[in-house]
Amino acid sequence: MKELTASEKERYHRQMIFDGWGEQAQQKLKDAKVFIAGAGGLGSPVSIYIAVAGVRNIRICDCGEPELSNLNRQILHDDTSIGLNKAISAKHTLERLNPDIQVTAITDKITEKNVGRIIGDVDLIIDCLDNFDTRHYINLYAVKRSIPMIHAGVYGMRGQMTMIKTPETPCLWCINPGSPPSDVFPIVGATAGVIGSLQALEALKYLSGVGTNLLGTLLVWDGGKMEFMTLPQHKDQGCPICGQDNGID
Amino acid sequence: MDLNSSEKERYSRQMIITDWGEAGQQRLKKSTVFIAGAGGLGSPVAVYLAAAGVGTLRICDFGEPELSNLNRQILHTESDIGINKAISAEASIKLLNPNVRVVPITDMITQDTVEGIVGNADIIVDCLDNFEARHILNEFAVKKLLPFIHAGIHGLSGQVTFIHSPETPCLRCVFPAVVPKKVFPVVGVTPGIIGSIESAEALKWIVGIGENLKNQLLIWDGDTMDFQKVLIKKDPDCPVCGNL
Repeated sequence: MKELTASEKERYHRQMIFDGWGEQAQQKLKDAKVFIAGAGGLGSPVSIYIAVAGVRNIRICDCGEPELSNLNRQILHDDTSIGLNKAISAKHTLERLNPDIQVTAITDKITEKNVGRIIGDVDLIIDCLDNFDTRHYINLYAVKRSIPMIHAGVYGMRGQMTMIKTPETPCLWCINPGSPPSDVFPIVGATAGVIGSLQALEALKYLSGVGTNLLGTLLVWDGGKMEFMTLPQHKDQGCPICGQDNGID
Repeated sequence: MDLNSSEKERYSRQMIITDWGEAGQQRLKKSTVFIAGAGGLGSPVAVYLAAAGVGTLRICDFGEPELSNLNRQILHTESDIGINKAISAEASIKLLNPNVRVVPITDMITQDTVEGIVGNADIIVDCLDNFEARHILNEFAVKKLLPFIHAGIHGLSGQVTFIHSPETPCLRCVFPAVVPKKVFPVVGVTPGIIGSIESAEALKWIVGIGENLKNQLLIWDGDTMDFQKVLIKKDPDCPVCGNL
């Protein structure tokens, strides 16, 4: 375990006085390594809030560049970031918010072939993607390597979130088999803020060992009516990804 | 208030939300929001209201960022230590969306200053950490019939309600006491979630879509990820809104 410096003890003081957190949980965050898939609407609050909480090693991946129409929600980027890669722009913003952390920017597009090299050896994967094709690549890797994954999706003023940890929980394919066509969809920043902050919380609870995670349950949010629902999820015994006959050894 | 082509592009993804459109975006551009506090809650509220294109943000805070604030107050960084929080917020917001007009206010909210501080705002968003100032703002909101979004946080839990007298109870009906202020535990994600909910409530009201959290208090427990809505009622003898 890495010891905390005096400045870190001061910076994280207000969360360290939370019941059950203390120096030990803070040290766990300092040792943790997290992979964030996507530096867009969800990736922004997720990476910002885990960075300011003191998660030291953040690998963030995005192959795109910020566009003007992203800036209503992607708060990692601003007008001056247009033309840069999103992962690199994210690294600048995150290291300015917390100089104690190390951010690795990955600018590749995630494919079935490179997914292992891109994610690498991490404690946790956070899905901040906007399409199911790529989500299923990272789901397969997460299942194969038994790495927990926090899934979320947003649309308009609605969103959903769950934590996947196989074999204990269903995998993403059990919950959402296949890929709906990915179109330009409505989205406002506050939606990504609510759902992304909830993802960041699940990540911090898991990494620090404080609190209970949303395992096997899908949280569904309707921001128009400000309603939250939890729906139990079930494993598909015949799932080609996490089922018994999936061919993974 | 017309939108220029760059604004139409910038806000295109939210303008395609059902019933938002160009008219909703113009209402945002015309609106003035008063944000009380530029700390843990004020950060996501100011950030997401600015990114959405609210015309004017009046942001009020008399404090200065400290190192122990930076686990949650994402408007500020180490280089802002020693600068007033409202001024630091203005710099962050101007960078995030240069179209937004920010009026930083560095005074403390008191009975005497509240009117000048809130100014011509259409809606008040409570991002405070103490009930004394909240009750002063509540009284002003009731008097001027302004909507007032209340939120509070502690550790991994929080609460939100949309107050709009005389249609709803006021803050005094629900929380009659002034709870003494002290140092309490808080993780950044808690104001992230609760502040984003406050900004969604403000956007819905200004744009004119969805339903606001009126006559109900949303209570969130982040430890168990439990959300509850509790019905709240007007106190007919309330010293603030009782005669309305």
